[in-house]
Amino acid sequence: MRLTRKVSRCIAAMAYWISKLAQKVLLLTALAIVGALLCATMVRFAPGYGVDERELDPRLSAASRNAIRNEYRLGGGLISYYRGYLSGLLHGNLGTSAFLQQPVARLLKERAPFTVRAVFLGLTTAWIAASVLSLLTIRWRTWVLEYSATAVTGLLIALPTAVVALLCLYLRVPVFLGIAVITLPKLFRYQHNILAQAHARPFVLAARARGVSSNRILFWHVIPAAWQPLVALLGVSASMAFGAAIPLEALSDSPGVGQLAWQAALNRDLPLLTSITLFVTLLTAGVNCLAGAIQERQP
Amino acid sequence: MLRAICRGTLLIILALGLFAGNFTRYSYAHQFREIPNTTPSAAHWLGTDGLGRDLFTRVVYGTRVSLLLAPAAALLATILAAILGGLAGLRGGWLEKIILASADLSMSLPLLFVLIALRAFLPLDVSPVLSVVATFVTLGVLGWPSSLRVVWAAARNLRDSDHILLARALGCRQSQILVRQMIPCLRPVFLAQFWISIPVFILTEATLSMLGLGVMEPLPSWGNLLHGAEDFSAMAANPYRLVPLFVLVLTVICFQFVFSGSEELA
Repeated sequence: MRLTRKVSRCIAAMAYWISKLAQKVLLLTALAIVGALLCATMVRFAPGYGVDERELDPRLSAASRNAIRNEYRLGGGLISYYRGYLSGLLHGNLGTSAFLQQPVARLLKERAPFTVRAVFLGLTTAWIAASVLSLLTIRWRTWVLEYSATAVTGLLIALPTAVVALLCLYLRVPVFLGIAVITLPKLFRYQHNILAQAHARPFVLAARARGVSSNRILFWHVIPAAWQPLVALLGVSASMAFGAAIPLEALSDSPGVGQLAWQAALNRDLPLLTSITLFVTLLTAGVNCLAGAIQERQP
Repeated sequence: MLRAICRGTLLIILALGLFAGNFTRYSYAHQFREIPNTTPSAAHWLGTDGLGRDLFTRVVYGTRVSLLLAPAAALLATILAAILGGLAGLRGGWLEKIILASADLSMSLPLLFVLIALRAFLPLDVSPVLSVVATFVTLGVLGWPSSLRVVWAAARNLRDSDHILLARALGCRQSQILVRQMIPCLRPVFLAQFWISIPVFILTEATLSMLGLGVMEPLPSWGNLLHGAEDFSAMAANPYRLVPLFVLVLTVICFQFVFSGSEELA
């Protein structure tokens, strides 16, 4: 009897998690479709769409000009354009970069690992540094520590991202450290506020009144209470880190997706730019979903 | 005391931008072609740039562009957040769910990627004035989600408050409740969001302009004055070229100090 109850409870929990997972996958798929349609719309209606300077070449025949026009699917209506775009996406065809004259999918495949690795390492470094700093300021509430941490992070927040990128370039710091430096101050402020709020709750006061040590209060009471909003920060910090990658990679000439996006923007390479934006959006949405799933696992 | 100093500094910088024409006799686009990259002198207080334009004049006019248009973008973002957040908080139901989901989705997007994507859709031959307007309108249109969350939370609390219940029980119309009760109560939240957004937009514009995707030449802004700062030897030869950065950082820090109370309220 007890075994049956356990099994049924296990099945119910599994069904719950499968439904949650299905919801997240559905959300990501819907986001991908909406994002792809938006990208297609923007590319289709952007000024200068369908105009190709090769058409001005007097050596080309009428058939060649028609072939060039057909590349842009100008002959069909909007629906057929969307259909073509979405079916291309499904087959991994993200179009061709007008600026680099290469398939967008290949460019993304080459560049994405560099940026993803830099963002991952940068975020890990920033999270460790921000956590240590905020735990120190919460544990030892001295004004020297508090003010110096606030001053340093305040100064870093007041610098434009591109200036921090320049400083990193000047100091020959790797891109991931630049990402860490850019995300650290914001992360520290959020973490510090979340921990301070948890530290000010009545059960912490009660624990202190009972003579519980400060370390035990911090690690056994404050951190578990602050865990959920801290996990929610994961998604936000991923978005910040990807944003920081653009100026860092652009200014330090690193071969990542950020630099590619910058070059695409400067050269008005819309198919490339929209595909990159879609790719990064899906990546950050994925991290957000992961953070949401971890949050839901907490009691 | 510190807050008063910061407030005074902000007023001076704002006055510098507003009355730029009274502080300098040159035009921001005028070129002294015979003296490019010159060091500071009595005629050119901060020297000239690579095209021979007076750097002090460009900093002063750049202050006007950055410091007047960032509040405009912040106003646009706050108005959008107020309308959408207010609607979500007061109406609730499916409308609330849709608005909050779209805000969450927007917040998860890397702002800079979306900004440069939107900015790139403008035609190539835009005038400098149009580039300024486009940059700040894009910032305003994309900057609402974080403010929306705060406005929504305040509006939802207000919806359930006693005095609104009393007003409803007394037979006040929805429009009356909205105009006479809710908007005055939410005004501090709107103001806090407005002041918090300004430095964010100043910094984002600076980054965009440094990457060559913001305010177009010859119109100056703090960001595009720093464009080319990666040429470290030129910077070392004339460190006064970093004055726009100094003014920018000073302004943002002053904003942080002056409106730190607003941040707590938000």
